[in-house]
Amino acid sequence: MIRLDSVTVQFGGLKAIDELSAELDAPVCGLIGPNGAGKTTLVNVLSGLVVPRSGRVEVDGSNLLPLAPVQRVRWGLRRSFQTEQVVEDLTVWDNVRAVLDHVPAGERAIAQDVAEVLHYTHLADVATRLGSEIDLFHRRMVELAKALVDRPRLLLLDEPGAGLDERESALLREALLGVQQFRGAQVLLIDHDVDLIAATCRQTLVMDFGRRLALGPTAEVLADADVRRAYLGA
Amino acid sequence: MSTSLSTSGRTNVPAPDPAPDPMQALAPALRQHARQQWRGLWAMGAVLLLLSVALLLLSNSYWLKTFTSALTLSVAVAGTALLYGQLGLVSLCQYALVAVGGWVALRLSHGFGLPFELCVLAGGLCASAAGMVAGLPALRLKGLYLALVTLMMAGGYQVLVSAVGFPDGGAGWLGKAQGTGRLMMARPAWAESDAAYLAYVVAWLALILVLIEWHRRSRAGRSWALIRRGEAAATSAGVHVLLYQSWAFGLAGFCAGVAGALLAGGVGQLDGRAFAASESVLMFALTVVGGAYHWLGTLLAGLLLRAVPALLTEWGVNGFLAQVFFGAALLHALITAPRGIAGQWVDGLTRLFAHLFARPPGPSRERRS
Repeated sequence: MIRLDSVTVQFGGLKAIDELSAELDAPVCGLIGPNGAGKTTLVNVLSGLVVPRSGRVEVDGSNLLPLAPVQRVRWGLRRSFQTEQVVEDLTVWDNVRAVLDHVPAGERAIAQDVAEVLHYTHLADVATRLGSEIDLFHRRMVELAKALVDRPRLLLLDEPGAGLDERESALLREALLGVQQFRGAQVLLIDHDVDLIAATCRQTLVMDFGRRLALGPTAEVLADADVRRAYLGA
Repeated sequence: MSTSLSTSGRTNVPAPDPAPDPMQALAPALRQHARQQWRGLWAMGAVLLLLSVALLLLSNSYWLKTFTSALTLSVAVAGTALLYGQLGLVSLCQYALVAVGGWVALRLSHGFGLPFELCVLAGGLCASAAGMVAGLPALRLKGLYLALVTLMMAGGYQVLVSAVGFPDGGAGWLGKAQGTGRLMMARPAWAESDAAYLAYVVAWLALILVLIEWHRRSRAGRSWALIRRGEAAATSAGVHVLLYQSWAFGLAGFCAGVAGALLAGGVGQLDGRAFAASESVLMFALTVVGGAYHWLGTLLAGLLLRAVPALLTEWGVNGFLAQVFFGAALLHALITAPRGIAGQWVDGLTRLFAHLFARPPGPSRERRS
């Protein structure tokens, strides 16, 4: 469970996140909001790339703020970026394997772990292909696979479905829904694709101007008049 | 544990697993990939062996010395290529680190009479430490700014080496002889002739290239690749950026130091005037021309640095024309061959082999049309 308590992030005179408090406990949670709402800043706070001015961040009861970004990865926090970060001259296998170089070895053998994750994310057929040789769908799945190896506890996925067509989005959706069963990790999903959010997230947080605009079951949140006005333009 | 995804679009329903053990299903492809990688390593060994045999058979005394220098500098180029190809970092003080390695090797050889190999290793380790210091700005600076800072370091080393000079058997901490009595650095007993020393240098070059290839294929290489892709992404994958970046600078410095010691052994003495900061710039430029992403590029860059100017001299062409030639080659590389001459050659050979060993279409396929 993610617990945010009065988190404030300030860049100069701009409050990117303003006294944000929320509790997210669904297996797959959505984070939506208009551009500049503070979504990516919140993900940066969770992953340790941005230090908040004040507030407290807990995940599964652990206070994350004292931990450096690398320590958070070892703890089990994983994230993907809006722009996929597949390394062109590494194979798909090595792209995923690279994460396991820096997290404590789990009970499973490393090769077995990578193989299972590649199989789960539809990457088994391209395992030995270079990053430069795979298409956008596979690149997006590599990002997901990197987040799934070892024993992840929280996945922060920043627009993992950007640029995918309908069929590919359906496969991604299935993968996201199965994460809890596959690895037992919670997922925080940021995406502008409301259909993807509605299909995968039981609970959704809506941000606007760094503040919490709404939080609750996704269907209710998406039907909220304030949310529709601020985000959906209705 | 293995949960598969169905492709039907229905959610939350684990599909029947077509491959009970994902590792077993992937094993053949992984084995084939590993075999390909080993083939690349064997090809490298074969090329180096053939090259040294050809040079030994075909070269006269002048060319033996020239190729020895060229392949020695290839050792240093391997470090520049490592930083640029693996991490995307431009270091313009590699030739200065060659001087560091040469100085330490000469001092230890003349002062303590240590075995040649120990002098080479000590030169490499000292240059490695100096390389890590040179790499510290890289934690904050990238691109042009890092290039400028390292170039200024090279300028500093140039002043230092010009003032201090290289040890040549004299007394005192600096080991500098006054007037007569300058000594040559002793070569290893089994490589005293020029021909044997060329083979000896090739053996060191092979060791260095294998060391770098081993790094590239291991945890360090994967971490460097992630850092090159983006530091935020690397950090988010758990990579300790400071550690792995310093490790790369240290390894690149080690290459330069080994080259410096081998250069000292080859020539016998080193001259401070030969280590101008501009040499580091030229070394980087020719690393790009040769190709920073493949071991073949380091060989080519070494040959471009020493063998091409020697060839022009032998043809009676003004030595300054070499600079013009290198400038044109750099433009060519930047515009048409971002992976350098080596990249072009490897691509060409890959296409050739694919054409030569392509399976002819079967009779059923021919009949289908």
